[in-house]
Amino acid sequence: MTIGLTHYLVLATAVFLTGLSGVLVRRNSLIVLMSIELMLCAGNIVFAAFSRWLGDASGHVFVLMSFAVAAAEAAIGLAILVEIHRLRRSVNLDDLKTLTE
Amino acid sequence: MFESVCFYLCGGLMLLGGIMTVASRSAVASAVWLIFAFLNAAGVYALLSAPFLAILQVLVYAGAIMVLFLFVIMMLHGPVMNEDLRSRSRWFWPALALPLAAIAGSAVTLLGRARGGAFPAPAPHGFGRAEQVAALLLDRYLLAFELISIVLLVAIIGALSLGLREGRRT
Repeated sequence: MTIGLTHYLVLATAVFLTGLSGVLVRRNSLIVLMSIELMLCAGNIVFAAFSRWLGDASGHVFVLMSFAVAAAEAAIGLAILVEIHRLRRSVNLDDLKTLTE
Repeated sequence: MFESVCFYLCGGLMLLGGIMTVASRSAVASAVWLIFAFLNAAGVYALLSAPFLAILQVLVYAGAIMVLFLFVIMMLHGPVMNEDLRSRSRWFWPALALPLAAIAGSAVTLLGRARGGAFPAPAPHGFGRAEQVAALLLDRYLLAFELISIVLLVAIIGALSLGLREGRRT
């Protein structure tokens, strides 16, 4: 079978759900952030695959936007994480439940 | 045939990198596996005839973003970062079942179809090259381009203000 759209969609789904399970299971907030990056990457692959399918490069522009959002998210998220670590001496998500108590 | 081999190689290694990112005990190992997954994602972009995106994936994701992650991991304490994976959250089994069920379901769907949605071959000349993406970015999507630059500017200001606040206190 030739490699087509479905193959790329299956790959992106698998990678996305791997990242989602990382967000749900891991308690280390750095690894949770990395899992979110993995999910964004899976979304980008879907954009590129449909761009190729439709023969229209607009999807590539949206992947560029997603790159910028991922970079902003990583910068802000890591800055907040460093600040939390200074205050609490921990990056474990189970220790950060002040708002629910 | 060559394309199939490349796809299964890059895609399989990307999935492996993703799974190891989620399953690794230490944050440094996770980050290195994530870099591995992103490099393979660049290979997937190249297969999708998106050479510009493949280069940007290596430069921006595997280069800039992951170096930032590794920098923060090195800056925080090493022992704090390790996590006992045996103390499972109640989401452990659902989260494990989720990707497996999705992969099985997608594979069944894939096998059920005669042709896996074959791409219109070949891609138009110059498709996905920097020239074409730049022309779209500065013409049809000019407003979005300007807005995303504002998003980046706000992110820079936010990260700076968080960092400066911490410097004032100590």
